[in-house]
Amino acid sequence: MDIATLLVAGLANGSLYSLMALGLVLVYKTQDVINFAHGEVLATGAFLGYTLYKVVGLPYPIAFVVAILLGGLLGGLIERIAFRPIAHHPHITLAMVTVGLSFALKGALRIPYGRDIYVFPPLMGHTPIMVGATAISPQSIVTIVVALMLAGALFAFFAYTTMGKQMRATQQNITGAALVGINTGRIFSFTWALSCLIGAAAGVLAGPLSLLYPDMGTNYLLKGFAAAVLGGLESVPGAMVAGLIVGVIEMLFGGLISTAFQEVSAFFIIIIVLMFRPHGLFGQKPVHRV
Amino acid sequence: MWVRFCERWFGLLLILGLACLPFFLDKYTQFVVNLILVYVTVGIGLNFLLGYTGQFAFAHAALMGIGAYTVGLLTTRLGISFWIALPLAGVAAAAIGGIGALPALRMKRAYLALVTLAFAELIQWVLIRWKDVTLGTDGVSIRPPRFFDYALKGDYKIFWLILVVTVIMYVIARRLTESRIGRSWVAVRENEIVAQCNGINVTATKLVVFMVSAFYAGIGGGLFAATLGYIVPDGFGLLQLVLHFSIVVIGGMGSVFGGVIGSLLLTTLPELLREYPQALELIYGILLCIFIIFMPTGIAGFLKQWRVLPPEVMSRNWQALRDRPRPEKRS
Amino acid sequence: MSDILAVDGLTVRFGGLTAVDSVSLKVPEREIHGLIGPNGAGKTTFFNAVSGLVTPSGGSIGFLGRTITTMPPYARAALGIRRTFQSLQLIPRLTVLENVLMGLHTEIRTNPWASLFTLRGRDKGEKEAQARVLATLDYLGIGATILSQTGTLTFAQQRYVEIARAIVSSPPFLMLDEPAAGLSPNEVRDLDRLLRRLRDERGITILLVEHVISLVLGVCEQVSVLDNGRLIAEGTPEQVANDPKVKAAYLGEDSGADGH
Repeated sequence: MDIATLLVAGLANGSLYSLMALGLVLVYKTQDVINFAHGEVLATGAFLGYTLYKVVGLPYPIAFVVAILLGGLLGGLIERIAFRPIAHHPHITLAMVTVGLSFALKGALRIPYGRDIYVFPPLMGHTPIMVGATAISPQSIVTIVVALMLAGALFAFFAYTTMGKQMRATQQNITGAALVGINTGRIFSFTWALSCLIGAAAGVLAGPLSLLYPDMGTNYLLKGFAAAVLGGLESVPGAMVAGLIVGVIEMLFGGLISTAFQEVSAFFIIIIVLMFRPHGLFGQKPVHRV
Repeated sequence: MWVRFCERWFGLLLILGLACLPFFLDKYTQFVVNLILVYVTVGIGLNFLLGYTGQFAFAHAALMGIGAYTVGLLTTRLGISFWIALPLAGVAAAAIGGIGALPALRMKRAYLALVTLAFAELIQWVLIRWKDVTLGTDGVSIRPPRFFDYALKGDYKIFWLILVVTVIMYVIARRLTESRIGRSWVAVRENEIVAQCNGINVTATKLVVFMVSAFYAGIGGGLFAATLGYIVPDGFGLLQLVLHFSIVVIGGMGSVFGGVIGSLLLTTLPELLREYPQALELIYGILLCIFIIFMPTGIAGFLKQWRVLPPEVMSRNWQALRDRPRPEKRS
Repeated sequence: MSDILAVDGLTVRFGGLTAVDSVSLKVPEREIHGLIGPNGAGKTTFFNAVSGLVTPSGGSIGFLGRTITTMPPYARAALGIRRTFQSLQLIPRLTVLENVLMGLHTEIRTNPWASLFTLRGRDKGEKEAQARVLATLDYLGIGATILSQTGTLTFAQQRYVEIARAIVSSPPFLMLDEPAAGLSPNEVRDLDRLLRRLRDERGITILLVEHVISLVLGVCEQVSVLDNGRLIAEGTPEQVANDPKVKAAYLGEDSGADGH
């Protein structure tokens, strides 16, 4: 296959991994916990989008916005109901609750949607746009553009809004933030809401590129992890760039070597990063301090 | 002495009672009982890692798969005796798991979870893709183990084998947790810095607990293969893993009894819910959340609090200290 | 008398901050050595560097004639450097026995196979360990609490449990980080007696960080004073107490000269 075709497809998938990694990194930075339910957040977003667009019949942009807002609401609720009461518990409790949530969410999706596979039709048909010998699917372009817009909006949010600045302050130093009068509880809720909103957006975008089934989140979660680790686990721009890299590597691997390896590329990326550059491409080398 | 005495005799009676079960149970119930015993070993193994050492990892189902496939492939395809294959299943799981976890052990705690989750996917992938060896999704049927010339065929006969191995694994678990090894796990869980200042090599301790835990998963997997008689890669995926997590959390983190209680309850639960298999994940997920938030020591912790179960002090024969004359308090 | 601890030009930097600045310190055997200074002077960082928890940026640490500058903390503990922490670091849900046994991790030499497969009572290592714990607790006067849940004890008793964990392995060297914090004047007097007994009867050399100055001046033979990471004075309690530099360092800060 043409390299450029692979690259575009890789960037499209990669932008979804970037969004996944962004959501994971946001929660990790504020609460020091990996959200293992994030794959199910993506799946929930995908099914919300599907239901609103295909079943309810809303126009796509409205279905997209409503789905991601509902995803955000879900995130806020998760924080408020499941996390706020245990915010001071040991780390393993928090991590375990996200695992429990992941199965609960998957189980909840299983009840209406069962074990079937659903197809989300692409927005602009199946006919690829030909640029020279390069076949570009319109859906890839939509995915990349929307993901970039979301990422841009996120950066603007962090840079220019009070809430964004307060969130950054809380990530730096929770106690300090609380001392200067930031309502950290609200920040936590908002972080979860934002993280899940982005995750749901990844889900809606993933719909036409993948098939829809309640287990679909695991694969995206793993690739999101790989991207987050490659990006340094605590770096927002790192997660963004690393997601694209993971997407491209995976496609090149799949296209040039063997599609079988595509499925386990996440593992190899994580292992290689840990062995040779444990703080990731963009993370800072940790200052050793007790 | 009294408690120790009771526990000993109660344990012995329990084993004898269990040994008579095949004479009373129907075939299906016997199968469920076999599964419960298999999950005792698996659950205790994960409890070492999760409950005792506080390390979060996702490889337990995959390691169980390694154990099951080691037994399946060695006995069925190479004709090696089950009695050699079973310990090898534990060793293979410990070795592969140890190598897989090694890069993450010196890192921040989040990394072990990330690496093992990816590692579990890799194992699944190998089991499915390496068809020449694993037979892929077709699965492997397991030849029943032989005891001299006597084939342990069927749920009733295999039960004796499982009972013996489970009792051995249980006793080893109790001894480990009553030794310096078990205490070093708890020390690492509570505070790695304090552990180091008491002479505990934290990275080595994590490697040891990961490998012991994997060994238990491997043995459990081997027994699982012998119980089912037929294994497929899909059996060692995320649904298997959530069952393990639930056994440990609901049974009781940091308690050997917890593994027993958890497997008793959670192995019967899916059998009770056979009509609604879709609800299983939802129920496991919600139970996990509820227990971890409101009852973090699980049912074992609850029963110990009400003195239904004896305390699990992490030192061998500690009861002897109770009987010594108490010195007057220094004024 | 030879030096048990010989620190030479020790420097610890965190990013741009120099927490300990070329500090040299010698502690002879069987001495109770005090380390004082205002808050943020670098005392705890110095402790952490000697225990191996932070990596020094420069200088060397010698212990019993060996250089241990790059040795990991668990190996230093095995050599006989034991410590307590500023805040209680016990496991409240476990018994006193279990907590103190953790201090014997490097001492218990059981054959793992024997401990796994022999019948009851054959586990000699564990039995000896229990006996040592009991003896240590009795020595500290809290033997009756051996099977109590640690979290249910009084604060002073928990401090003693932590000391028990640190000394149960009979280490040559003990570092105490503010052992008197939160104790009543009577309890501080008991602690004073205990420190002397540890040195006289057990031959333990003690390095003591303490804010309760009365304890330091009463019990220590030598006192070193840190300020802003630098060693500003050294000598007997009287010399240090009258040193103008020390007074200046403490000026404006409540030195707690009377203990409370």
